[in-house]
Amino acid sequence: MHNKAKLLIILVVALGIFAGSFSLVIADSHEFDWRQFEGETIVASFPAHKAYNHWVDMLPKFEEKTGIEVQVDQMNYGKMSTTQTLEMSKPNGDYDLISMVGPLSKAKYAQAGYLEPLGPMMENESISYPDWDFDDFVDKLVTTQGKVCLTCKGKNIYLGGGEGSDTKLYAVPASSEVSVFAYRKDLFEEYGLVEPKTFEDVLELSEFFAKNVDGVYGLTMRGKAGHQAGHGTLNLLKPFGGEIFTEDWEPAFTSENALDTLRYFKKIVEYGPPGIPSFGAGGNDNAFLQGKAAMYLDHSRIASLVRDPEQSKVKGKVAYTTIPKRKGIEDTTVAETGGFGIAIPANAGETDKKAAFLLMQWMTSKKVERELMTEYGVQIVDRESLMKEPELQEQFPEYKVMAHQVKLADPAWRPAIPEWPEIETEYFGIAVNKVLTGRKEPEKAMEDIVKPVREIMEEAGYYE
Amino acid sequence: MKAKKILQKLTPYGFLAPAVLIFALALFYPVFYSIRLSFFNWRLVEVYRKAPEFVGIQNYIKIIQSPAFQTSLKVTAIFITITLATELIVGLGLALLAERKIKGLHLFRTIFLLPIMVAPVVVGVLWRFMFNPNYGLVNYFLGLLGFENVLWLSKPFPALTAVILTDIWQWTPFVFLMLLAGLQNVPEDVLEASIVDGASYVQRLRHVKLPMIKSIIGLTIVLRLIDGLRALVVMYVMTNGGPGRATEVLSLHIYKKAFVSRRLGEASTLAVFLIIILLIVSTLLFQFFNTERRTSA
Amino acid sequence: MTRLNKWLRDFSLPGSEKLRKIDKAQLIRYAMLVLAAGVVLFPIFIMITTSFKTRTQTFSMPPVWIFKPTLKHYQEVLFSGNFLKYLVNSLVVATSTAFFSILIGAFAAYALVRFKFLGKRAVSTVTLLLRMIPPAVLIVPLFVLWLNIGISGSRAGLIFAYIALNLSFTIWILRSFMNEIPVEIEESAVIDGCSELGILFRIVLPLIKPGLAVASIFVFRISWNEFILALVLTNRTTRTLPVAISLRITQVGVHWGEITAMATIVALPAFVFTFLSARSIIRGLTAGAVKG
Repeated sequence: MHNKAKLLIILVVALGIFAGSFSLVIADSHEFDWRQFEGETIVASFPAHKAYNHWVDMLPKFEEKTGIEVQVDQMNYGKMSTTQTLEMSKPNGDYDLISMVGPLSKAKYAQAGYLEPLGPMMENESISYPDWDFDDFVDKLVTTQGKVCLTCKGKNIYLGGGEGSDTKLYAVPASSEVSVFAYRKDLFEEYGLVEPKTFEDVLELSEFFAKNVDGVYGLTMRGKAGHQAGHGTLNLLKPFGGEIFTEDWEPAFTSENALDTLRYFKKIVEYGPPGIPSFGAGGNDNAFLQGKAAMYLDHSRIASLVRDPEQSKVKGKVAYTTIPKRKGIEDTTVAETGGFGIAIPANAGETDKKAAFLLMQWMTSKKVERELMTEYGVQIVDRESLMKEPELQEQFPEYKVMAHQVKLADPAWRPAIPEWPEIETEYFGIAVNKVLTGRKEPEKAMEDIVKPVREIMEEAGYYE
Repeated sequence: MKAKKILQKLTPYGFLAPAVLIFALALFYPVFYSIRLSFFNWRLVEVYRKAPEFVGIQNYIKIIQSPAFQTSLKVTAIFITITLATELIVGLGLALLAERKIKGLHLFRTIFLLPIMVAPVVVGVLWRFMFNPNYGLVNYFLGLLGFENVLWLSKPFPALTAVILTDIWQWTPFVFLMLLAGLQNVPEDVLEASIVDGASYVQRLRHVKLPMIKSIIGLTIVLRLIDGLRALVVMYVMTNGGPGRATEVLSLHIYKKAFVSRRLGEASTLAVFLIIILLIVSTLLFQFFNTERRTSA
Repeated sequence: MTRLNKWLRDFSLPGSEKLRKIDKAQLIRYAMLVLAAGVVLFPIFIMITTSFKTRTQTFSMPPVWIFKPTLKHYQEVLFSGNFLKYLVNSLVVATSTAFFSILIGAFAAYALVRFKFLGKRAVSTVTLLLRMIPPAVLIVPLFVLWLNIGISGSRAGLIFAYIALNLSFTIWILRSFMNEIPVEIEESAVIDGCSELGILFRIVLPLIKPGLAVASIFVFRISWNEFILALVLTNRTTRTLPVAISLRITQVGVHWGEITAMATIVALPAFVFTFLSARSIIRGLTAGAVKG
């Protein structure tokens, strides 16, 4: 009996030493251990969105590689924060990896303490996939989707606040978007027009189409009261040299440049397809896809929609170019950035967090993202190296413009603060819509919302 | 013998016990808890990390002064007043039409039952679709009549109108069924007597029928009022309370305060306000209709 | 089938010799009621047809009225994602709530009908008052309390909350049915040596079967339809259908086919109940109106 026990102990110790040295060898040769969390089950909260649908399609490969089971809770992206907030408020939430509308949710979540900072995990060599190549992500997108500096003062606190020591990474980009300018090359050729370089050109071209081409109008934008009209305005505001807030968080939308933006937007509505004041993202896309608008300035996703014969009447008739500038305001070609980032909830189990980190790295690895593009036609702009590949540039004609555009992206194109959605939906976007529908003059509309906006900012402590 | 008697006395309490237990745990205690929490500051994220912080009546002051609360009160009042008035008038009209013995009455009643039975989420979905500005049927029919496209759910006034119309669609049938049941319960001989008296239809309606169903009208109003104060799902689905706060009724405001703004203390304060409103309104109405009943009896 | 025939008979157009008897007022009355019924039915009709339309058909203006129905959306809804799981959740939650509400409600109703005891009036009044509590008041405390006792996110937690919400109505309706049973029947059972429990289960409950049916339909319907508590108290695995639908609604609104298909499935029990037992449902609904 005793002997047997002794033998067993010796055997175990020997095995341990053997395994230990073996794993040392593995570590030395940088052989990454994908199977260290075999048997774990993790739960991901993803949007019902093209890129994620195909990521989910590819998940069996991850499960086979790692032995980790992944369960996915997919829903409309606008509803994700409903269930995510509930789950992340519990001591043991359901989710181990969440996708979120990065620029807005990350600030809100990080401030509430819902998210796990990624830094320590990235430093932990045993779970860091050596070929992940984090530096390959487009810098500005990493900032937009993932960086938060909770203790920083000043305007860009939720964008990392410069690169202060308190800036933490909470999420990595996973299907970002940038804004892009698209136009109907067939019509431009037919009427001998040149692609616009400035917003003055855009207005002239809009007038031309509205007056001379039957059933086709100029630039289409979103102008529906609330978030959508706010979003539409922001497409123009920065290029026009306007701002929402000053450095000290005082409302800046009453400045001359901001009012100029609104007057311009109003003219665009006049020459644009009917219904801009009621267009949300879908209506705006549809106007262009159905051939009612000759020009388009919004998210890059439009390129994949144009290619989809089920939704588009303009397949093969569209060209892309850099977003125009405003005359006299040179250096400000600006793109909006948006889309999704993925993060790990702070209340996930310790092992689950690590397993989720593996999934995060796998999903956003070059190999998987490349496959997403070549196999499923999903447009990914998160990685520099992919955008430079000639083969991919051929498959995605918009890619060349976007590779350039994404570098001009300004993560601060909208105030990346938790209060912005409320301000935009309830005040700014409604005031803009009043201007677009002619119910208020720009000056009046903007002045009327200074007070309520200041109140929100004051309550949130921006003026202390 | 005595023991048996005591046991007998205890029997009813034994039968009531499970119900009382459930009420206590899932209704009484939560309501009590809400009232208590309304004096505390507690964020959703602190639920398992930090105890609530006592702030006295600060939440109450904050809520009373908050424009969002005032708006939600206004929206709730408008919503309830207009829906209730319309539902009563239309429901009564239809009930008077159907009151005489007519063929196929049961089929009509069955059809009118449908909107009541269907889930509010479904009602929200189907009217959201009907009110869609571009391919919704409401705008299509308005277009046929020569009206311009209305941006139903994206402008404040039309959005509130849409939500109100939806409620009218769903609940007029309830008022109809209630009043019809009441009218059919009016004794034949009373009516016949008034006909013999030579009273006109309007006179009979004013002096005989309506007084006879007064208490039922009262009950219907109370039930609809309670339901009106509970309503939030249809708004949640159709507009999520927007645009702005144009359709954010008090119930929806509570939900958003708790799980969107994540302030549990203030949400509880709002809940207390809702309870108070409910108590005042229903007590007043009960009193009003009870005295009416006594004087008319 | 027989029911359907009966309706058709009820509703069949009057013969020509009868037509003379129908005065103008009667015709106008019919016309108004038919119009009202049309207004009620039309949106439901649109919802159901949209669920069978292709995307192009849904978005075409003027609307397509006649088309070849597609089952694509139903396939999509039923066989992808977790819809079936949520369907099972909804069924389990609604039936368990109905069962337990009626069991517990029958006990309480029996006590209120058959016994005189201290506090009886108070119990009746409170029961009535409890019917008024709006779910919005309960979401915060129940979310926190269920977390604390560890039933948050479980179906049991949701069922428990639903029983509480439905109980007072169940008691109230069962009581009105029990009131109609003559005391003599029970008294004779007592003489036969039945215990109180025996009387309830062997004599009272079988006698009020219609009441049990009405109560179960009502409770089932309310639990099947309930949304806001389900949203807060469930999670990914225990979600019910109304919550699942709400999470699928898109701002962009291009998936109307699937959403209306889901909505139609959720509305199905309501349709079935309505057409099978409209009479007793209306009786339950208007019980207060008739008894005053």
